[in-house]
Amino acid sequence: MTRDELQERIVAILVDEFEFEDPGLDDNLRDDHGFDSIDAIELLAKIEEMLGFQISRKEKEQAMSIRTISDILDFIETIQAAHKN
Amino acid sequence: MEENREITVLAGLVNWAVTILCWVYFIFAFLLFFSWFYILAFCLSRNRERSFQYLNHQFFKGFLGLLRVLVPARQWRIDQRIAKIRGSIIVCNHRSYLDPLILLSLLPRSKTIVKTIFFKAPVFGWLMSVSGYLPATSDGKNGARMIKHLENMGTFFEDGGNLFVFPEGTRSRGTDLRVFYRGVFKIARMYHRPIEVLGLSNTDKLFPPGKFVFETWKQDIIRMERIGCVNSAVRTRRVSVADLEKEVRQIFQKSSMFAGAL
Repeated sequence: MTRDELQERIVAILVDEFEFEDPGLDDNLRDDHGFDSIDAIELLAKIEEMLGFQISRKEKEQAMSIRTISDILDFIETIQAAHKN
Repeated sequence: MEENREITVLAGLVNWAVTILCWVYFIFAFLLFFSWFYILAFCLSRNRERSFQYLNHQFFKGFLGLLRVLVPARQWRIDQRIAKIRGSIIVCNHRSYLDPLILLSLLPRSKTIVKTIFFKAPVFGWLMSVSGYLPATSDGKNGARMIKHLENMGTFFEDGGNLFVFPEGTRSRGTDLRVFYRGVFKIARMYHRPIEVLGLSNTDKLFPPGKFVFETWKQDIIRMERIGCVNSAVRTRRVSVADLEKEVRQIFQKSSMFAGAL
């Protein structure tokens, strides 16, 4: 999946499932959209579904520091690369 | 005049005596009696979290029983249906530090969301951690704790456990409800669990916020009632968190306990 495709799918999830309005790639998820750690855990479950593999506990802990949609995309690319290896 | 002064002094002395007796229970019932069971449960139980929750329930049942005996002027009307709630999210208004203790005394299998700072307290923090209570924030070590407990929440609910939360986050004054934190509604939606709504009154008169001693002399009734339930909405995958919050707030507003609350 290219970064653009990833971005499209993540934005769609955030709008449809997390009630985001006009999300920008560098918006602060917490301050601008009220996205908290419970949302983060729910989003990780959806990312697992999307990618078709389980994200490890350590990777999930790293994901808790994500602040923007760009960070989410970076995170997904990193774990995808790690799982390919 | 002199007589009134004597009564005030006497009331103050009784308030202090009751408070000290409650602290004696807290410290000595734990150290001399319950601590052994906690140690045994920690070493031998196959499900430490469940065992610790049951011990917490028994400990606070004892505490509330003692308080009721020591403060006969206050009547307690606790809805019997509350103790039978299973596999649900429970939300309640928050008036006093006694409120979580009442719920712990009623529910043998329960978790709650706790201010992160409490996890740092010696012994107390460890007990809460082993009991599976969730931290309010996910910074540092709490991120791992929150992931672990939230991921196990589905099994916990299926096993009959309840998550009780005070969505106002802090104690409220009067009948006004504060703004709700939305985390609890997100969890209800995530696990498709009913939200049981409880109304509570007058615990702040027995243990007023900002004071150290119980107010034992005034006569009134401490009530905790099941005032409604949001069930069908959480079964719907697409329900919004805002709608869940609105529905819960409406239940509070319709209740006679919150007449006129915003």
